[in-house]
Amino acid sequence: MPELVLQAKGLAKAFAAPAGPLPVLTAVSLEVRAGESVSIRGSSGSGKTTLLQLLGGLDLPDAGEVRVACDGGLVAPRSRLGRGVGFVFQNYQLMPELTALENVALAARIVGVPAAAATAAARELLGLVGLAARADHLPSRLSGGECQRVALARALVNRPAVLLADEPTGNLDERTAEEIMRLLLDIVAARGLALVLVTHSREFAERASRRLVLSGGVLSPA
Amino acid sequence: MPWFLHLALRQLFPPGKRFPAFATVSILGVALGVATLLVVQTVMNGFGEEHRKRIRESFGDCQVVADRPLARPDELVAQLRRAPEVASATAYAEGPALARRGDFSGVAAVRGIDPTDPAQPARRYIHGGSFDDLDDGRVILGLGLAQQLRVRIGDKIELWSPAMAERAEKGKAPLPAEFEVCAILRTGFTEVDNAAALIPLRRFREIWNLGPRAHGVILRLKEPARAEEIAGRLNVGHPDLVFRPWQAIKRNFLEAIRFEKTMLFFLMFIITLVASFSIGSTLFSAVIRRSREVGVLAALGAGRGALLALFGLQGLLIGALGTGLGFLLTGGILCFRDDILRAINAVFGDGDMVASVYQFANIPLHYDPADFVAAGVFTLLVTTLAGFVPALWAAGRKPSEAMRDA
Repeated sequence: MPELVLQAKGLAKAFAAPAGPLPVLTAVSLEVRAGESVSIRGSSGSGKTTLLQLLGGLDLPDAGEVRVACDGGLVAPRSRLGRGVGFVFQNYQLMPELTALENVALAARIVGVPAAAATAAARELLGLVGLAARADHLPSRLSGGECQRVALARALVNRPAVLLADEPTGNLDERTAEEIMRLLLDIVAARGLALVLVTHSREFAERASRRLVLSGGVLSPA
Repeated sequence: MPWFLHLALRQLFPPGKRFPAFATVSILGVALGVATLLVVQTVMNGFGEEHRKRIRESFGDCQVVADRPLARPDELVAQLRRAPEVASATAYAEGPALARRGDFSGVAAVRGIDPTDPAQPARRYIHGGSFDDLDDGRVILGLGLAQQLRVRIGDKIELWSPAMAERAEKGKAPLPAEFEVCAILRTGFTEVDNAAALIPLRRFREIWNLGPRAHGVILRLKEPARAEEIAGRLNVGHPDLVFRPWQAIKRNFLEAIRFEKTMLFFLMFIITLVASFSIGSTLFSAVIRRSREVGVLAALGAGRGALLALFGLQGLLIGALGTGLGFLLTGGILCFRDDILRAINAVFGDGDMVASVYQFANIPLHYDPADFVAAGVFTLLVTTLAGFVPALWAAGRKPSEAMRDA
């Protein structure tokens, strides 16, 4: 059986609201193994992004715990931000002042990779996502699809075991979205990564090896 | 180069932009604050230095006096000249007299000096005529006194000393001493210029019936700045004498200059503080604008320290570049200070106050490295803090919160 790379147990999260705490997630548990792709669908406000943030360590759950594979063990993602998981965001979230190459290398530099090695890795990944020729372009000179390719390269640069993708095609036209989704799934399959994909698109969700729906704060099979 | 420094530089000077507005305006703000502070400080230092120099030259670096005329001034002068700290020593005598020319008269502060002394500071303040023409029959008058008596060089005046009144009391006919004006003195000190009358010491002794005595000795020191300390040391073994360093001669005046400088520094400090606060608020809004980026950086693994450094460094860079530019601006303004003043006078129709009021040929300057260091350190500190405060706020947020903000 493939290695367990992501484990969430009994995750609960509520947000403060004027009328009292508003529960978003009540008891979410999830296990993802290497090479597996999991899609999560749900209506707006169902807590998909919140769940992804908890899985990636960007936020802490009120209850429950998350573990991701990193450095040969399962650790809390909060303690390995930038290494255990790679994020792909809907709005790309690139640094506007850095070139495509610098954006990708930045993620490696932040976790302590020397500049030369980070740049070499970034250049290789930009080649992988088909942007070698545009490595020195600023995000403002790239199309939405190209920006998302840069974001994908950035998510991969620290060789995470898990990719968390939050509506990665949400801002793209149909054709570009298709290209990005194919690229994402190809890379995940080729590298044996685990993918947790949050999407509104039924079509893209169907391509994952496991399909889940988040509703009422609980994950259930689609 | 650490990634946060690289990113800080890119955020300050974004590539592809011809005019990085935020950085330019912030750096100019700091530069103007620093330049204002330093120009004022340097000019105030210049005025202070110039006044101190004039005090020393008008009154000596150190005056040696007693509660009665010095009986053997030549011995004292010879003894003091042997002290290693003393550059020169010369006896003097002084006293009031009535100066008169025809229907005009005034009170003169007559001073008997050694006209052969090449170090006589009065030589530097001769406004007309020649110091070297001073002899037993000639007098050098302060400009104010000369105007009061309506005399020019070559005119004759009479001096009536108190000793002549004593003579009259004894029933003898008091005869005034007659002098020809050989030069005009203009030191810039009103109290000196309005009353000074310099005559040879030998002649003074004659008119005042002083015999070989003198009223004091003026010392020139090798290190005038240490006059207070040296005066204390020279005073040892002379309990009957008072050694007055130049700092004590015009203490109130010097204190006023120092206080004026401190007050101006305080006002300029506030100006720089205001500039720094505006940088702080600009950086704060920049950090808020970059809230999502802060969240992304945190999601990529950037620690609190690195995020603090990212924005703190932007403040530091603005401060460093602003301070450097401020130094250059200070040099430029001070280099063209007289032209700038002339232009201001031309616009407002004022006369040349520096020449007419202060008697300075140009605006005096004195560069004090301590002022530059203080202004630089203070500005760097405040601008770095201005960057750190919003950075602290940003770094303290959860990445998820930061990324939710638009």
